[in-house]
Amino acid sequence: MVRAVPNGIRIAAYAFVALTMLLLLAPLVVVIGVSVSESQFIAFPPNGLSLAWYRSVLSSDAYLRAAALSLQIALMVTASATVIGGAAAIALHRRNLPGSAVMATFFLSPLVLPTIIYAIGMLMLWSTLFGGVSMMTLWLGHTVICLPYVVRTTLAVLSESDPFLEEAARTMGANRIQRLVHVVVPQCLPGLAAGAFFAFNISFDEAVLSLFLRRADMTTLPVQIYGQLEFSPDPSVAAVSTIMIGITILLIVVIDRVLGIKRFAST
Amino acid sequence: MSDRTESLLLTLPGLLLLGLAFLVPIAQMLVLSIEGENGPTLAHFARFLGDPFYLGVLWRTVRLSLIITVICAAIGFPLAYIMARVGPRLRLWLIVLVILPLMTSVVVRTFGWMVLLGRSGLIPDILRDLGLAGRSFAIMHTEPAIVIGMVQVLLPFMTLSILGVMTRIDQRLEEAARTMGCSFVQTLRSVVLPLSVPGIVAGSLLVFTLSASSFITPNLLGGPRIQVLAASIYRSVTQTLDWPFAAAQAVILFAGVLVVMIPYVALTGRGNG
Repeated sequence: MVRAVPNGIRIAAYAFVALTMLLLLAPLVVVIGVSVSESQFIAFPPNGLSLAWYRSVLSSDAYLRAAALSLQIALMVTASATVIGGAAAIALHRRNLPGSAVMATFFLSPLVLPTIIYAIGMLMLWSTLFGGVSMMTLWLGHTVICLPYVVRTTLAVLSESDPFLEEAARTMGANRIQRLVHVVVPQCLPGLAAGAFFAFNISFDEAVLSLFLRRADMTTLPVQIYGQLEFSPDPSVAAVSTIMIGITILLIVVIDRVLGIKRFAST
Repeated sequence: MSDRTESLLLTLPGLLLLGLAFLVPIAQMLVLSIEGENGPTLAHFARFLGDPFYLGVLWRTVRLSLIITVICAAIGFPLAYIMARVGPRLRLWLIVLVILPLMTSVVVRTFGWMVLLGRSGLIPDILRDLGLAGRSFAIMHTEPAIVIGMVQVLLPFMTLSILGVMTRIDQRLEEAARTMGCSFVQTLRSVVLPLSVPGIVAGSLLVFTLSASSFITPNLLGGPRIQVLAASIYRSVTQTLDWPFAAAQAVILFAGVLVVMIPYVALTGRGNG
């Protein structure tokens, strides 16, 4: 047996990983640090410790309205993307439609098309057809970009499920609807759940589509933050951002509990 | 009802949604890009390709995206290798730490970099204290600021892409190379690197496209004077309100993305099959 890795390289590897994690996490740590600062100005390392900026966020109409809109859209999108994407994945998994492979690629294609191109198309189409954007535009747009995640997680779960379970239900006399409701949907439940959480996260954090499909009375939380950053950021932006980071961490923990994050890590 | 009808019914809502709310908008953008007062015209493209300013924007976009891609690959390859070879507990933690920034909103991450790179930010301060930079040194609103911010945003995509391929490499190949006298570094170079090429290529294509089409991080870290293509599109839509010109620029971006994405889809598609 040869020595697996020379010691020098092993130490270098640990140092390298530590530095990379520092690079990846530094901006998040900084944002959290700024949010608890006492200072009127954005400063890192923070001076003092205070939750005053959280209080100012929670009493700011603009932030609360933006948060309510983001939450509303994210919930609507989670529902629509999970139902539509889950149904499509169940059918795609059976591979009994002509061009199933092409169709699978089609369902995943919003993933590889840069959002800015799609956002422009949506803006222009809606302006031409309806004279402007609306909640409907945001809802449909977000659903389209979240759909591939649900399709992918559901397909991943189905590919490991027992294909004979549905056959067994059929021989025992279950009809189509019964098989779908009592056998197939429970089989893909972990995939649907993970997809739903991904959809929520992506919609809640999405900024590009929401910036293009913006209307004065339709400002989502990321758009509100972007506006603040362009104009005059104060530590209240950091407080909102920290809340968003907290929600993301929560979602990751939930996805990991439901399904194991590893299974969806490789893109 | 046959099985086929059932499958068709299940995909129908998705097909309708993607058809009406995905393909039609893209078609609308293509149509608008050639729209002129007297019928179809290529004037918007001519204006872009004939103006040194916009050609400069295009060149900067390609150049920065290439730099960002190369840096991401240079960090992502060793990171993915280490992640593939550590114990399962540590690997899970590393995956979570890579995914956390990936799932955090781009505006939030960019804000973090604005604080770190800003005039009195931590990084210029440290560089000045170490005597590596002069008193008037600034990194905010420069191209290096964009590169730093974008590498952080896109590194997770590269790492996960390479990791996906690397976990499938048979570890016995490395052991075989070592028993036959290869050093650790030689094994890395002649066994691991060639076998992970599909992951590196797929990750690079993905990072390049995402980098070429992003505008939030470049806008905030590069400032209004250093424009990239996507930022220029955003400006045409929101500030100059020249939509046909915005559409033409988007089509140019789209064409570039298609050239890059076709090999990407072919590569990743084969991996899944």
